[in-house]
Amino acid sequence: MTIHNKIVFITDADSKSGKAILHQLVSEGAHFILNSPSNGEEIRLDLEQCHAAGSKTVVINIDLCNRSELDATLEQTAQQLGTVNVLVHNNNLVKPASVEYCEEDVFFEILNANTKTAFVCTQSIGKQMIAQQSGRIIYVSSIHAEKPTGSSFAYSASKGAVKLLASEAALFLGRHGITINTIEMGPVEGDNIAFESTFSSLYDSYEYKVPNAILGTYEDLASLVVYLASDESRYLNGAVIRLDGGFLNHYMDHRMKEPAVLEGGTP
Amino acid sequence: MNLVGKVALVTGAGTGIGKGIAVELARRGCKIAINYNQSDAGARDTKAQIEELHGESIIIQANISVKTDVERMVKQVFDHYGTIDILVNNAALQLNFDFFDYDGATFDRMMSTNLKGYWQCTQAVVPYMKQKQIGRIINISSVHSKRPTDFDTLYTMTKGGILMMSRESAIELAKYGITVNTIEPGAVDVGKQSARESKPIVSPEDAAKMKQEVNKIFKKFPMGRVGRPADVASLVCYIASDETQFMTGASIRLDGGSMLL
Repeated sequence: MTIHNKIVFITDADSKSGKAILHQLVSEGAHFILNSPSNGEEIRLDLEQCHAAGSKTVVINIDLCNRSELDATLEQTAQQLGTVNVLVHNNNLVKPASVEYCEEDVFFEILNANTKTAFVCTQSIGKQMIAQQSGRIIYVSSIHAEKPTGSSFAYSASKGAVKLLASEAALFLGRHGITINTIEMGPVEGDNIAFESTFSSLYDSYEYKVPNAILGTYEDLASLVVYLASDESRYLNGAVIRLDGGFLNHYMDHRMKEPAVLEGGTP
Repeated sequence: MNLVGKVALVTGAGTGIGKGIAVELARRGCKIAINYNQSDAGARDTKAQIEELHGESIIIQANISVKTDVERMVKQVFDHYGTIDILVNNAALQLNFDFFDYDGATFDRMMSTNLKGYWQCTQAVVPYMKQKQIGRIINISSVHSKRPTDFDTLYTMTKGGILMMSRESAIELAKYGITVNTIEPGAVDVGKQSARESKPIVSPEDAAKMKQEVNKIFKKFPMGRVGRPADVASLVCYIASDETQFMTGASIRLDGGSMLL
């Protein structure tokens, strides 16, 4: 899919989404700059697989809110690997934050992790891409850029802000041959815990609210990232793709697909 | 639409849309707390306009991005009037910096005022409103909470954040009888009252071109004009009234149809 030898920057390589994206892009022949908060420790095996497959990797561990640190790092990685062709912003800090009781430091922790890093990366890597007059920026966001969580206003506000960053960047950077698209990821296993809420019943029986009663996986996400990173998606710009199996279309509980009955046993 | 005797705190009421809202709420009988940060003369003018209507108001200086300021402001409203019925979150920054000219500190400043400021004011009024099990929070956002400006990325981002914060506030505060709704004005003519701290985003020649283009765009608006503060104020009064008990988490586009083009 024309990703061969492209340089991909992943903002959180240690996360489950980061690993899945890394694996699928390795098989497409990409090379990587991986921001790893564990300094590569959490992705040791993944790095070995990259090397075995012939993918070059540079592991960094920097604060992506710090523009000058990122600029300096990109100068170095440009020497080592080349300039960035694809930015995958997949930072996703989920923490409870109620409107009534949240503290200021938690608000900023979430906003900085999810939004400020997206803005700073877009500025810094966007400059490199403008010099090349090409590039792909992919924000891995959430259905909560649209649907409230009932558990963390700071999280959904942080993703709501990224949604508008994407639409502005699609104009600013779009004029330089760069495309910017957003994936609004729906429920994966464990999201009912991450977004546990006393105000919203969204995640009650959440797996059955997906019409086909199958939860999404990070592999589903990675597959869409590969498409958006490729030349095949050249006319997609400023798009928001909801990847939730139809979860947000759910309305009637009694219509939900029941769990399949296993042979000789209970569901 | 009975607003007589209700107490309304309007942030950024020294200029532009905020001033229009404060005066209109007063005209309909609300007691007003006029918040301003820098527009001292503007706040006094708002008060004078309210006095002409024989209305009641107090002026409170506070920077909504500073938590202690917000807490002091809300306490002052309560101490003076004994209640707070309506909060209009309106004070916001629009710096119009070019995309690459925003640095980390300016990012923080924009987020602190436009997003954190709205939240902090909301958080600060909740204890007073929940005592009465009724309250109206009205967030003034923008059509740019859903559509880019093509000239101020950070402004748009904060408005995208406000949209979600309003939806979250609506479901969380419903149990206290507090409704939270958002108004998305399009272009509003605020005359020369705006205290906008703006850096030219383009050269003077380009600025002239942009002005020309904007005027051309405005002429094409379906209703033949841009909005006025009074348009926004009228909708604020409706949302603030008792007639909207079941409306919460709504965002109402108020742009004369311009975003449909």
